[in-house]
Amino acid sequence: MQVIISNALEQGLIYCFMVLGVFLTFRVLDFPDLTVDGSLPLGAAVTGALIVGGHSPLLATAAGVGAGMCAGLVTGFLHLLLKSGESDSTNYGPKLLAGILTMTALYTVNLRVMGRSNIPLLGVETIFEKLGAFLSLTMVGWNLVLVLVALAIVVKYLLDWLLHTEFGLTLLATGDNEQMIRAMGTNTNFTRIVGLAIANGLVALTGSLVAQQQGFADVGMGIGTIVAGLAGVIMGEVIFGMRSISWVLFSVIGGSIVYRFLIAISLRLGIQPTDLKLLTAVLVVVALSIPTVRRKVVRL
Amino acid sequence: MSAPATLDIGALRKVFFPATANEVVALNGIDLEVPAGQFVSIIGSNGSGKSTLLNAVAGTFPVSAGKIVLDGRDVTRQAEHVRSRTIGRVFQDPRAGTAPSMTIEENLAISLLRSKRSSLRRGVTNRRRDVMRAQLARLHMGLEDRLKAGVNKLSGGQRQAMSLLMATIAEPSLLLLDEHTAALDPKVAATIMQLTAAIVAERGLTTLMVTHNMELALRYGDRLIMMHAGRVMLDLDAGQKAALEVGDLIEKFHEVAGEAFAVDRMLLE
Repeated sequence: MQVIISNALEQGLIYCFMVLGVFLTFRVLDFPDLTVDGSLPLGAAVTGALIVGGHSPLLATAAGVGAGMCAGLVTGFLHLLLKSGESDSTNYGPKLLAGILTMTALYTVNLRVMGRSNIPLLGVETIFEKLGAFLSLTMVGWNLVLVLVALAIVVKYLLDWLLHTEFGLTLLATGDNEQMIRAMGTNTNFTRIVGLAIANGLVALTGSLVAQQQGFADVGMGIGTIVAGLAGVIMGEVIFGMRSISWVLFSVIGGSIVYRFLIAISLRLGIQPTDLKLLTAVLVVVALSIPTVRRKVVRL
Repeated sequence: MSAPATLDIGALRKVFFPATANEVVALNGIDLEVPAGQFVSIIGSNGSGKSTLLNAVAGTFPVSAGKIVLDGRDVTRQAEHVRSRTIGRVFQDPRAGTAPSMTIEENLAISLLRSKRSSLRRGVTNRRRDVMRAQLARLHMGLEDRLKAGVNKLSGGQRQAMSLLMATIAEPSLLLLDEHTAALDPKVAATIMQLTAAIVAERGLTTLMVTHNMELALRYGDRLIMMHAGRVMLDLDAGQKAALEVGDLIEKFHEVAGEAFAVDRMLLE
C-alpha cells in the first residue's frame, strides 16, 4: 500500500510541471497549446541523448528545459504567421494549428535527437542519483517524494512571483482581455510567445524527469500529454478551488497528484494500461461538459 | 505621463475589403485638426465612419491612405500597442475595458504601467494602492475599499467607470471615447458622462467622443462634428454649437444626409 501511495505521489509530482504548463497556456493565456505532446518527449530526448553522451545530468536536464522553451517559441511564431487579424483573440483555429504543426515537426526532431526511437538510461548517472549522492540518500520511495515536493514548491513560487510582477499582470491580461491590454500599450504578441516558452519549458522539465526516473526516453511517451494535463488542471480546480492565482497553482499541483492516484487505482482494479488514455479522455469530456449539460437540463 | 497633444488628420481614407464585391469606403478623405486640450463630439448615423475614425487613430488597423499626426509625430504606421502608450480608450461594451477575472487593483496596476515598459518588479505595490484608492474614491462607488474584488463582480456602470479611470489614470495625450455610455441605463450613463466631463476638464485632455446621442453631443465638448458616408459634413465650434438645439441638429442632419444622397445619385448617373 505504502509503495502504491509513494509511487502515485512520485508520478503526480513529476507530472505536475507539465500540468502547470498546460494551466499556463489553457487557462492563463487562453491558448489551447497542443505543442505539449511534442515538447514532453523533446525534454526527455535532449536529456537522454546528453546523459548517454557523457554530459552531467544537471546540464542535460537544463538543456531539456531549454529545448522545450524553444518549442514554445516556435509555436508562438507560427501563431503569428497563421492568425489573420489582431483582434481575433477568440479565434482558436490558428492557435490549435500552430501547436499541431510544432507537435508534428517535433516527432522528427525527437527521433533525430535520439538517433533512434528509444534511449535506455540504465547504468548511467541521472539527476536523481546525483542528488542522492549529494544528500547521501537513496533516491527511491519517500526520499524521492520529498525531493520532488521541494522542487514543486520552488517552481510553484517562481511562477507565483512571475505572475505578480508587472510583466506577469500583462501576461494574465493577455489571456483575459486582449483588446484591453493592447489598448494599454502591451505587445500581446510578445507576452504570448514568452508565456508559451515558459509553459513548454515546464512540460519539457517533466519529460526530462520522467525519462530519468523510469530509465528511458521514448519517442512515443508524449502521446496524450495534453489530455492528461487538462485532466489534472480541471480536477485541481474542481477539487481544490481557484480563489486566487497563488491558490490555483497549488490546486493544479494537487490535481496532478489526484489524477495519478486515480490511474494507480484503475490499474489496481485490473484496467489495462492501454485503456487509460480512453478513460482519461472520457473523464475530461465529462468534466468539461457538466456545465453545458446542467444548463440544458435546467432549461428542459 | 504626457501632456495633451494636438491631433492632425489629413486626407484619411480607409477601404475595407478593397477590390472585392464587399468593398466599403469607410473613411473617404477625412481632414481634421484638433488643438491640444479640445473636447470634440462626433455624431453620425450607423456606418458613417465615426467608430472607424477612432479605430484608425488608435491604430487598430492600417489605413488605406492619408496621415495621422499626433503631437507633431507621424503615427500613421505606428503599431497599435506603441500608440496605445499615449492614447487612452474607452469602448462601448463595459466588459471591453477591464480584465474580468483579475482584481480591481491588478487592473488599475496595468493602467498605471501604460506609458512604460513592464518590468519584473511587483505589479501591485502599496504606493500604487494609495494612488488607486485616491482615484477610485472620486467615483463615489465604494470601490476604494474593494481593491481585491474581482472585476467580474462589478456592475456594468462600475466597470465602465473603472474603464474610464484606467484610460485616463496615466494621463494620456489623447482620449478616445467610442459610445462609452450607450450600453448603460440612462441614470448610470449620466453619471459616467459627468465623470468623463470632470476628468477631461481637470486634466485638459484632448478628447474625441463618438456618440449616437445628439443631446450629449450638444451638451458636452467644445466642438461638434457630424459625419456621413465617411466624410466630415458639419464642423461647429463652441459658439455655433451653443446656439443649437436637438431639433436644429436633426434638421442639419437631414440636410447633410440628403445632400450627400443627392451627390451619390449624381455620381451614379
